[in-house]
Amino acid sequence: MSDGLVKILDGNIFVVSDPRGDIEASLTDPTGLFAFDTRFLSKWVLTVDGQRLNALSTDDLEYFEARFFLVPGTGTVYVDADLSIIRQRSVSHGFHETLTIMNHRSEPVTLEVRMEVGSDFADLFEVKDALKKKGKYSHRTEDGNLVLEYGRDTFTRETWIGADKPATIDPSGLTFNTTIQADGTWSTELRVVAGHPALPMHPKAMMTPSHTRTTRAMAMATGLERWLGAAPHLECDSDTLKVTYHRSLVDLAALRFEAPILPRHSLPAAGLPWFMTMFGRDSIFTSLQALPFAPDLAATTLRALGARQGSHLDDFRDEDPGRILHEMRYGELSAFEERPHTPYYGSADATPLYVVLLDEYERWTGDTKLVRDLEFEARAALNWIDEYADLQGNGYISYKRRNEKTGLENQCWKDSWDSISFRDGTLPGFPRATCELQGYAYDAKMRGARLARHFWHDLELAERLEKEAADLKRRFNRDFWVEDGQYFAVALDEEGRQVDSLTSNNGHLLWSGIVDKSKAKAVAAHLVGKRLYSGWGVRTLAEGEGRFNPIGYHVGTVWPFDNSFIAWGLRRYGFKEEAAQIAEGILAAAEFFEGRLPEAFGGYPRAMTKYPVQYPTACSPQAWSTGAPLLLLRTMLGLEPVGDNMVVDPALARTIGRIELLDIPGRWGRVDAFGRGRVDTGRASRRAHRRL
Amino acid sequence: MTPSTDPTTAFFDDLASIGHVPLFHSISGTIRIDLNDGGETIHWYIAIDRGDVKVSHRSAKADAVMRTEKKLFDGMAKGTVNATAAMLRGVLMLEGDLELVASFARLLPGPPRSLASFLERQKEMSQ
Repeated sequence: MSDGLVKILDGNIFVVSDPRGDIEASLTDPTGLFAFDTRFLSKWVLTVDGQRLNALSTDDLEYFEARFFLVPGTGTVYVDADLSIIRQRSVSHGFHETLTIMNHRSEPVTLEVRMEVGSDFADLFEVKDALKKKGKYSHRTEDGNLVLEYGRDTFTRETWIGADKPATIDPSGLTFNTTIQADGTWSTELRVVAGHPALPMHPKAMMTPSHTRTTRAMAMATGLERWLGAAPHLECDSDTLKVTYHRSLVDLAALRFEAPILPRHSLPAAGLPWFMTMFGRDSIFTSLQALPFAPDLAATTLRALGARQGSHLDDFRDEDPGRILHEMRYGELSAFEERPHTPYYGSADATPLYVVLLDEYERWTGDTKLVRDLEFEARAALNWIDEYADLQGNGYISYKRRNEKTGLENQCWKDSWDSISFRDGTLPGFPRATCELQGYAYDAKMRGARLARHFWHDLELAERLEKEAADLKRRFNRDFWVEDGQYFAVALDEEGRQVDSLTSNNGHLLWSGIVDKSKAKAVAAHLVGKRLYSGWGVRTLAEGEGRFNPIGYHVGTVWPFDNSFIAWGLRRYGFKEEAAQIAEGILAAAEFFEGRLPEAFGGYPRAMTKYPVQYPTACSPQAWSTGAPLLLLRTMLGLEPVGDNMVVDPALARTIGRIELLDIPGRWGRVDAFGRGRVDTGRASRRAHRRL
Repeated sequence: MTPSTDPTTAFFDDLASIGHVPLFHSISGTIRIDLNDGGETIHWYIAIDRGDVKVSHRSAKADAVMRTEKKLFDGMAKGTVNATAAMLRGVLMLEGDLELVASFARLLPGPPRSLASFLERQKEMSQ
């Protein structure tokens, strides 16, 4: 997203404006007031006596609140202004804006203050793809409010706009005529409320004073304080790490989202502004990363995704019984089934990962009730792996969309068109069985067996799952192993041939546990070796492959989220130094982004660029990048729940220094973990270079 | 329309005869479904007690309410109308415990054509 824009949000309701606080959106421009994937305001322009205003400064007070200091005039020559204007805005079912004008003259002044308004009611998908609207616009006034309306058959959306001072209302705005005394002040509170069937109340009810800015903003401020207070406290030598940790916690708070089916419980949405909704994959990965810090996110993710689990076959939505959803949307295109997101299920990894999260959640929290409550859902997810995901009948999960018009071609996390390729750059056909899916399936079966044995009291299922997992592991290590490269192929194609390029997916395989011990050393060496490791992190695709491009989305860039799971995988197989090296690189990169890691950055060698080159992405912050430093803290300290205790086994880079993570919540109550940097981070790579 | 050809009645009759729904094993609560049929409203009550399901027309306190046209619910019962999309279009109204409603909606069938093509693919694979 281009800089200079001011963004505030509350769940999936957000306001994006220019630094003056104005909104003048074109169809393809992501500014406006958005709620439930619909733009409810595309114009919001303040003038005083017909003049636009100039921003002196803009403060993002909190993620849900912003303040703009303005003066009249847009001229290039600065003239001492005799008026100052302050706009203070906070999100709540729309937003509240307190407009204050101060007269600095020694005489009264009479002003015409006008807010020009308008809404295109665009669906977020229309903003992304520049599509034309099919419905009709209208307006009315009700109880002194201006109501902008959009209707298409039975589908209606409304934006309510009002103020607590008398205004002249016309279809395109509110005008206030006022006289301000010498050195006096005039103020009004403007309210904008979005009317959507998924919102709990009628907009009219929310125009009343009981929902004023202060109440909501104060509730949110207390909420944020409580959230930060509940997270473990970090003491460390590295200032970068301190800043990054705080940034991660605040951004994660901002990305919390209440699904309408589970009000008052939050789960992580995927990213601002395009992805403020429930995503199976992103919500699960982020919940896993945040488990030692904010375990409630995982509980809500599991419940919300469970309540929406696939229950029948639906080709339009790529839905199967037991399948965990990919993406949920609430806009007009979803309503009219021009897009399949009600919800869309085209993801091949979310379902096994659902079982992985449920087990990992229980191991940390001891919340056996949730494991019992979600027994049906977890069993259905396990069943999906064998009954619906094995499209080729070869015992592997593969994907091929059934909705060929608006479904997703690539249903793994590397979801761009050229992400999966042979060494020579050729793209495989469909179905595709990418390697990490098999790892997740293996892990889901092993963890499912533990849940079946200890909580569902189904020994037969536990034994069957373990047998299937062992068989899968044996076949996988035979069928996916690229003998002449000593790593795992990224996929098997539609004819069962190895898609033989070297990719970061190998790290996810370590995380899943599917890798034979005898092969792990070679895999770990590749992950910190020259072709994959840039010095900042592991590249998505290795240097030397046909499609390698250091600034290609999934074909050479470094993804912080990817690296956090790779580090976890390395630790799982005992490669502590390698894991410490990866954590060091990603956290060093975070310094260049003021603690907010982007979705991806360039795969150029660290020695060449000295700083990480950001990949121009649409979303920031992105949930699983926000979660990456949290998981890296876990891997550096070697935190692992074992029975009712938490084991600490630190391995961190010398440059990181000392870390103390205090009050880590879990089934043990709260415990502290300490670590001191002793790892020489160059050593693992040097060893790898000798080996490869 | 006779009961045997009415998809809504057939759906609820099936549900009543099953008696226990594993999908509801951790759920308790009552959903009222109000179906408007030419100005007259029919109320269906689905009472769930940790998986045990009772279907009736007898008035009871509801934790969640679903309100729509009988004709639209016929489509849902046949798998030709998607409940979530209908809610977003404003032709299906929901109130109360939406987690309960979402669980109930998972009992509704999918499009018959999707099931048919799945069975076809299965047949091809086994050959």
